[in-house]
Amino acid sequence: MKRLHPLLLTLAVTHVGPVLAQSPQAILEVLTREAGASASIQRGERFYHARPGGGEAESCASCHTADARQPGTHYRTRKRIEPLAPATNLERFTDPAKVEKWFARNCKDVLGRACTPQEKADFAAYVISLK
Amino acid sequence: MMKPRLPESEGFIRLPRPGLLALVAALLLTSLWIAQGQASGEAAFPMPVDPRYRAECGSCHTSYAPGLLPARSWDRMMTTLDRHFGEDASLDEATRAALTRELIRLAADNPGANMLMRRIASSFVRQEAPQRISDSPFFRHMHDEVPARIWRRAGVGSPANCGACHSRAEEGRYFEREVRIPRE
Repeated sequence: MKRLHPLLLTLAVTHVGPVLAQSPQAILEVLTREAGASASIQRGERFYHARPGGGEAESCASCHTADARQPGTHYRTRKRIEPLAPATNLERFTDPAKVEKWFARNCKDVLGRACTPQEKADFAAYVISLK
Repeated sequence: MMKPRLPESEGFIRLPRPGLLALVAALLLTSLWIAQGQASGEAAFPMPVDPRYRAECGSCHTSYAPGLLPARSWDRMMTTLDRHFGEDASLDEATRAALTRELIRLAADNPGANMLMRRIASSFVRQEAPQRISDSPFFRHMHDEVPARIWRRAGVGSPANCGACHSRAEEGRYFEREVRIPRE
């Protein structure tokens, strides 16, 4: 059997990463499917700026600032947080595992509970819609 | 006319000029060498190589040098991540275990610790497992000249924000001469 050409093999392996990464639209489609209903950008915007008072952090905006396209600052540590909107940060909403991890952590921080699938879809729809 | 000759009893050493220059140069170079050495303020710590350290432990705050706390502190912290300074910082078990190993391997009291780390380790009360680096005797000593109003500046925020003034903190580098305090 012919050996796989080393160059082809190298190209294949080094390009697996970008192929596994998804687009924000693809991730939003999955979140919408899990919500079982269409996502609402307006609801997402209200959710983003709301101060529900259930957790340690006041609002999503506490860290991600009023404009998700801008760099944020952690509300306690003051550490810089790269922009959340894919419009200004190409890495955002491309790794499904990362998206789920931060929903799990930050919903607990702000709401004191897990986000519902609808809340996640709405939030993502709003942030992804920013230009 | 004869040039007046200085009396030997005045203690005046008569050196040829090249010798005098060489002496001054040697003294200057020696004092510079002493000054740039491991004097207090020149802190450098080994950092974990695992990229997950910065990704997981450096997203909400500076990725701190493990050498700033003893292993028992890191162990306690990594087993109570769900109550991490009031927040849930839980990790999947594989990541948690790997990062815990790195922290303990590079902790202040690890067998390969450098001189600075050994000083830090010995400055803690025995068996206490401090969680806040900024509560440690070493930190307080190093920052005892920083007025409270500096910590309150918007660009700094708190003593937890090492990176505000130590721009290379994430490389484990806290050189005093590289400190830049934000003006506001």
